[in-house]
Amino acid sequence: MTQDARVEQFISSFQALRSEVEKVIVGHREIIDHVLIGMFAGGHVLLEGVPGLGKTLLIKTLAEGLELTFSRIQFTPDLMPADIIGTNIIVEDAAGRKHFQFQSGPIFAHILLADEINRATPKTQSALLEGMQEASVTVGGASRPLPMPFFVLATQNPIEMEGTYPLPEAQLDRFLLKLRVRYPAIEELNAIIDRTTQVRSVAVNRVMTGPTVMGFRELVREVPIAAHVRDLASAIVMATHPQWEHAPTVTRRFVRYGASPRGAQALVLAAKVKALAEGRYNVSTDDLKALAAPALRHRVILNFEGEAEGIDVDTLVEQVVDSAVAASSQNKELFVR
Amino acid sequence: MAHHEALDRLVREITTQVRWRRAEHYGLRGVFWGALAAVVPLLLRTMLGPWALPLAIALLTAGALAGVAWGLSKRVSAGDAARIADREFGLADRLSTALDWGQRDERPALVDTLVADAIARVEAVQFRQVVRRIVPREAKWLPAPVALAVVLALSPAVPLPRMALPDFSPAGGREEARERADGPMLEDRARPLVKDKQQRPAFEERDWAQRGASGAAATAGDLSAIFKDTSLANQRPDFNSFLKKGDERLKMLEQMDRLPDLQSDFTSSQYKMVFKKSKELRGGLRPDQISPQKLKELLEEMERLGRKNGNNQWGQDVGEGMEALEGGNTDKAMEAMQKALDKMRAQEDASRGGKNLRGGRDRGDGRGRDSGGRGDGSPDDQDFAEGEGSFAGKGKSGSPKGDPTQRLRASPFDAGVEGESRRGKKDGYDTNMTGRGGKMPSRLTYMGVIGQYKKAMEDAITREQIPRDFHGQIKDYFQALDER
Repeated sequence: MTQDARVEQFISSFQALRSEVEKVIVGHREIIDHVLIGMFAGGHVLLEGVPGLGKTLLIKTLAEGLELTFSRIQFTPDLMPADIIGTNIIVEDAAGRKHFQFQSGPIFAHILLADEINRATPKTQSALLEGMQEASVTVGGASRPLPMPFFVLATQNPIEMEGTYPLPEAQLDRFLLKLRVRYPAIEELNAIIDRTTQVRSVAVNRVMTGPTVMGFRELVREVPIAAHVRDLASAIVMATHPQWEHAPTVTRRFVRYGASPRGAQALVLAAKVKALAEGRYNVSTDDLKALAAPALRHRVILNFEGEAEGIDVDTLVEQVVDSAVAASSQNKELFVR
Repeated sequence: MAHHEALDRLVREITTQVRWRRAEHYGLRGVFWGALAAVVPLLLRTMLGPWALPLAIALLTAGALAGVAWGLSKRVSAGDAARIADREFGLADRLSTALDWGQRDERPALVDTLVADAIARVEAVQFRQVVRRIVPREAKWLPAPVALAVVLALSPAVPLPRMALPDFSPAGGREEARERADGPMLEDRARPLVKDKQQRPAFEERDWAQRGASGAAATAGDLSAIFKDTSLANQRPDFNSFLKKGDERLKMLEQMDRLPDLQSDFTSSQYKMVFKKSKELRGGLRPDQISPQKLKELLEEMERLGRKNGNNQWGQDVGEGMEALEGGNTDKAMEAMQKALDKMRAQEDASRGGKNLRGGRDRGDGRGRDSGGRGDGSPDDQDFAEGEGSFAGKGKSGSPKGDPTQRLRASPFDAGVEGESRRGKKDGYDTNMTGRGGKMPSRLTYMGVIGQYKKAMEDAITREQIPRDFHGQIKDYFQALDER
C-alpha cells in the first residue's frame, strides 16, 4: 500500500469513526476530534466536565465504533487496586489440586473508561500508573501485558470536590490530553432533546479494528515536522517554566511547575495526528497552537498567587503560546535581520 | 530526493523579494545618514568653495548606494524564504518541511509524499509580492536633513566663526599697543617705564615703614610694590615674559623676612608700632643698659613720623630726648620718649574718635579700658601689645568668659548657634541649652570624642589660632570637663 493510500485510509477511518460517534453525541466536535487524536497518538485522555454533558456516553459510543474490548470502572472511595488490576484466586483443577490463578481486572481491555476517576483514593488511582505508561501491570511479581491498543479514557467532575482525591501530578502527566467538556450551544441542546426523547434507536457501526488502530499509530509517527516547528513546540513547553530565562511574565508570576518533556511529546504527537487527519503530511505551527491547551493545561501547576487570582490555565497557556510564537524566529521580519 | 524546480523557484522568488525589500530598507537608512553627512560640506561652503555642493551630492548618493548594496548583499537563507512563502501563500509549513526533510538521507516514506504534495501546491501558487515593506525609523526623520541640505545649498554661504586664540606673545602686545597708541589712556603705557628706585629703609625693621594712603607711591624698602606699580604689572599677561622676568619676583617671594607684614600695616597704629618698638628696645633692661644707638634710632623715627603727619605734637619731646641722649643722660631721654609716646597715643585716639572708629576694647559701655577701675596708671596698662591684654574675669570684662573677640563678634556664623541658654543658675562652663538645639541629643559618645577635641584644642593653641587671652580659659574649660 502506498503512502498516499495509507494516509487516505487514515483520513477516511478517522472521519468514519467521528461520524459514528456523532450519531450519538450532539456537538462537541472538537472534543470528539481530540479524543480520536489521543487514541491515534497512543495516549490517554482525561475528560473534565460537569455531570450530564455526555462524557461517558461519548466514550461508550467510541468503544462501540471500534472492534475493541471495553471496560468501565466507576471509581469510588472504597475501590481497591485489585478491583482494577485483578488478583490471584485459588482455583481447583480437574484433578482436585488447588493453585492460584490470576483473575484479571477490568483494566485488561482495549478501552478503559475510568469514570469519575478522582473519587478513588490515590492508592487506587496509582494502580493505573503502570498500565497507562508501560501498557502492562504487575501482579504477584508477574508482569502482565495489557491488550493493545490500550486506551484509557477518564472522566472527572470539577465542581463536586468534596470526597474526591485530586489526581496527583504523576497521574495527570500520563494523560496525553485533558479535554474540557463544556455546555452545548442552544442548537446542540435542541438536537440533544430531539435525539434522546424520541423512540429511535441508533446503531453504531464498528469501523475500525485494533490492528488498524495500531497501524495508524505507526503512520502518525512518520509524519515529518520541520525544525522550526519543532523548535516552536519546545519553546512553548519551556515557556511554561517560570525558571526559564525567556519565560513570559505571566508564567513567572503565576506558575509553580511547568510542563514536563511528556508535554512536548504529547504536543507534537497530537499535532501529527491532527495534521494527518486534515490531509497534511507535515506538522504546522497552527497544529501546535490548536493543541497546546489540551496537551499542556493539566501539566501546568499554578502557584498560590495563580490559584488566589483564579487564573484560568487555558488563558495562561494561550498567552504562553503567543509569547513563544512572537519570540520564535519564524515570525520575525527576515529582511531586517 | 532532489528539490523540485517548483520549490526552488518559489524560494528564489521570495529571496529576490527579500533582497529588494532589504535594499529599500537599508537604502533609506543610507539616504538619511548621507543627507546628514551632506549638511557638513554645505555648512563649510565658505571653506570648500565650489566643491561643497558636489561633495554633498556625492555623500548623499554614496549613503544611498551603500545602503542598497548592503541590503542586496545580505544573505537570505532558503529556510527563511520558505517560511515566508508558507506563511504568505497558506502552505501550512509544507514548503519549509519539504525542504528540511528532503535534504535528509534517513527520512520516513511519508516525506516523499509530503514533497510531492508540496510541489503540487506550490505549482498552484500565483506568484505575487508577499514580502512587506518595512520603513526604517530613520525614514520619518529623513525630510529634516534633506530640507536642511536644500536650504543650505540655496542660501548664501554661512560665514564661519573666527576661532583664534589670543596672542600672548610680547610682539603681539607691542603691536596692539602701537595700533591703539592714539588712545589717551595708553599714552602713559607707551612711554618708557621709569625704573622704580629702590631706597634703603631708614630702619632695618620694615614694621617701622608706615604705609601711606592708598594710591601713594611705594615706600622705600617696601617690597610689596613689586605686586602693583611695576613695569611688569602694567604689561599684558605674557607667559613667556613671566617665565623670564617673573623669576625675580619669585626670588623675592622666597625672601620671606623681607616681605611686608600687610596685616600689621593695615591694622596697627603708629603708636602701637612705636610702642612695640620701644618695648623691644627696652627688653626688660634698665635704662643704663639700653643701647643709645637704638634709642636714637627710635627717637629719629618718632620725629620722622611727626613730620610726616604734619602735626608734630611730640616733636619737642623728641628733641629733648635727643639732646639728653647726646648729653649721655639715657634716663632723661627715656622719659622724653615716653612723653612723646603718650602724645602720639593721645593724638591717635583723638583722630579715631573723630572718625567714630573704635576698636574691640574701646567700647563705651563702661566696662572698657577707659572707664575701668584699674589699669589707668601706666601706659602699659592703658594699652597692650601682642601677648598682653585683659585676661578673662580680671576686671576688664564683666563676663566670666571675657569679652568676645573681634572675630567672634564680627562673624555671623559664630554667633548663629541654634538654641538658647537655659534658664536658672548655671556654671560658667555650662553648655546645656534649651530650645531646638537643646532637644537634639548628641550622637557622639562623650568619652570617645573629648580626647579628640582636647587634642584639637591643643593643636589650635599651638598653631596660635586662638588669642592668648583665651588660652587659659579654654584649658580650664577642658580641665573642668575632665573633672566631670
